[in-house]
Amino acid sequence: MENVLFYLTAAGAIAGALGVVLGRNPIGNVIALLACFFCLATIYLLAGFQFLAAAQILVYAGAILVLFLFVIMILNLGTAGPLPRIDREMFRRRRSTLAIAAAAAFLGASALAVSRLQPRAALSSVPEHGLDAPMTLATSLFGRYALPFEAASLLLLAAAVAVVVLAKRGSRTRPGDPS
Amino acid sequence: MSVPDGHLLVLAAILFAIGVAGFLLRRNVIVVLMSIELMLNAANLTFVAGSRMHALSVPGATPDPTGPVFAIFVIVVAAVEAAVGLALVIALYRHKQSPSLDAASEMKG
Repeated sequence: MENVLFYLTAAGAIAGALGVVLGRNPIGNVIALLACFFCLATIYLLAGFQFLAAAQILVYAGAILVLFLFVIMILNLGTAGPLPRIDREMFRRRRSTLAIAAAAAFLGASALAVSRLQPRAALSSVPEHGLDAPMTLATSLFGRYALPFEAASLLLLAAAVAVVVLAKRGSRTRPGDPS
Repeated sequence: MSVPDGHLLVLAAILFAIGVAGFLLRRNVIVVLMSIELMLNAANLTFVAGSRMHALSVPGATPDPTGPVFAIFVIVVAAVEAAVGLALVIALYRHKQSPSLDAASEMKG
């Protein structure tokens, strides 16, 4: 039962990813990405990572995708009229063959790597609190990985300052602005 | 779930390849950023698969949380990347009135 659910959600994640890449309407792309992230959260849950599944939903669906939607609506990029579902133009450009070849080469290389894996019995039962119990996660995050944790806080601060600077500078030098 | 961990890795590879293709094929900056998010998610899935493999190798012991910890760091980096990237998109749009990467070609050799 769980295996069937895994393959279903895996197919859903791949379909969502294809929707992101092939769709023409930016809003539709965000919705496809949302579906993909929900499928991935389900897969994390099935794999025994409950905290990660919750973080995936909260951070990706709750914050990042809303940010994408905000920007699409601020810039008014959503299309009003009907468009062809799939943008065929992108496959006609000169460099497209190279791009698809690069992606296919990566896929082939990783398939080769996976086929060389030592076959192991699958993990049939996960511990009660999953493989990422908040207790062990916190002990590790605030103990062994305290330095990367602090570095992440610096990164977030730097990003917040950078975003404010970028947004303010652009608005001051806008052509035709009366102020 | 008794799916082999290799299947998780294959799914991650497929998602990453789709992300690479989208990054290289699309000209809309926002879709390019979404492709990067897709690739970061594929990396997260790889961490999950690796963590499962490691948990299996020591049955009974407390599972090593290194995989999920790094997945959380990847989520932080993805959030930062989305914030800065979208600020750059807004700055680009102010200058060019277009979300297309073809509009910003001054640096092209």
